[in-house]
Amino acid sequence: MKSQNDRKIAFFGRMTANLTHEMKNILAIIQESAGLMEDITAISPLSETRFQDKFNNALQSIKGQLQRGMELTTRFNRFAHTPDHSRADLDLADAVAQLRALAERFARLKYITLDIAGAGAAPVRVETNPVGVYMAIFFGVESCISILPAQSRVVLTPARRNGNPAVGVHCTGEGVTETPTEFSEKIVQASAWSELTLSMDQLGAVDPDGETPGFWLVFG
Amino acid sequence: MSELRILLVDDEEEFVTTLAERLEIRGFAPQTATDGEQALEMIKNNDYDVIVLDLMMPGLNGLDVLQRIKRRTPDLPVILLTGHGSTREGMEGMRHGAFDYLMKPLDIDELITKLHEAVKEKKE
Repeated sequence: MKSQNDRKIAFFGRMTANLTHEMKNILAIIQESAGLMEDITAISPLSETRFQDKFNNALQSIKGQLQRGMELTTRFNRFAHTPDHSRADLDLADAVAQLRALAERFARLKYITLDIAGAGAAPVRVETNPVGVYMAIFFGVESCISILPAQSRVVLTPARRNGNPAVGVHCTGEGVTETPTEFSEKIVQASAWSELTLSMDQLGAVDPDGETPGFWLVFG
Repeated sequence: MSELRILLVDDEEEFVTTLAERLEIRGFAPQTATDGEQALEMIKNNDYDVIVLDLMMPGLNGLDVLQRIKRRTPDLPVILLTGHGSTREGMEGMRHGAFDYLMKPLDIDELITKLHEAVKEKKE
C-alpha cells in the first residue's frame, strides 16, 4: 500500500503528465502552422521578394525552438510518469539521459557543462524506487555544481561498480585542482550533500572515487 | 490531384485542419473528423483508402475507434498518431491491427510516404 507521501507525489506526477501532453498538442499545432506558412511562401509571390530570407530565417527559428520544446516536453512527460510505481525496473543509462536533459539548465546557469560518459553503452538495469534514483543523481549533480568554478564539467557515467548498478558523478576542468581525497572532503560540505545522503539511505551507498575527483552512487 | 481518399481524425481541430491544408497543397484532398463517433459515421458513409487516427481523444479514444474500424472494415489501413514520447501506445495499436504509427509532431513527408505504403499494402 502506498504511503500518503507516495500518493501525493503520484498525484503531482499525474497532473504534470497531463499538462505535458497538452503542451505537446499545442506545440504540434504550432509546428503544423509553421509548416503551412512555409508551404505557402514556397508557392506564393513572397518567394520572389527580398523578404524571403528573413521570413525563412524566422520560420527556421520557430521550427528549431519547437524541436527544443518538444524534446523537453517529451522528457518531462516521461519524468512525470516516474512516480507511477514506487518500485520499478529502471535503466540507469536512460535515467541519466533523462536527468541530464532536465537538470542541464542548473549547470548552465553556473557556466558548467553536464555530460554523459559511455552514451549508447549497454543498459544498466536495477529494480529500485525511480523517484529516489532521480533525486539522488540530481542532488549529486547539484553538490558538484555548488562547489565547482565556472567552465568545469560534471560527467555522469552509468556503469557497474564491483558488479553493482551505479552512476558515477565526476568533476573535471582546469579549475578542479583538488586531489580525489581533497575533493571528497570538500564536497560533503555542499548544501545538497545531506539531501543526497538522505536520498541514498534507502537505495544504496555513496562511494568516493579514489582515483578521480568524484563519487559513485551505487544502487542495490 | 492525388486520388487517395484520406480521412484525418484528431480532436484538436486546428491541428487536423492545418494538416489537411498542408496535404491539399501537396495535391491530396483529405477529409477531417474531430471525434471518434464522427469518424465512424464518415467511414460508414464513404469509401476511404486510408485513415489517419489520433490515439488520445476524448469520448471514444483512438484505440476504441481503431477496434470498431477493424471489426467493420478489416482491410481499411489505419495510421495512428500518438503524442507521447513512448512508443507503447503505438505498438499497442499495431497489435490491434493498425498499419503503423507516427509520433507528433509529424514530418509531412514521412506521413505521405506512410499513406502510400498503407494503400499499396491494401491493394496487394
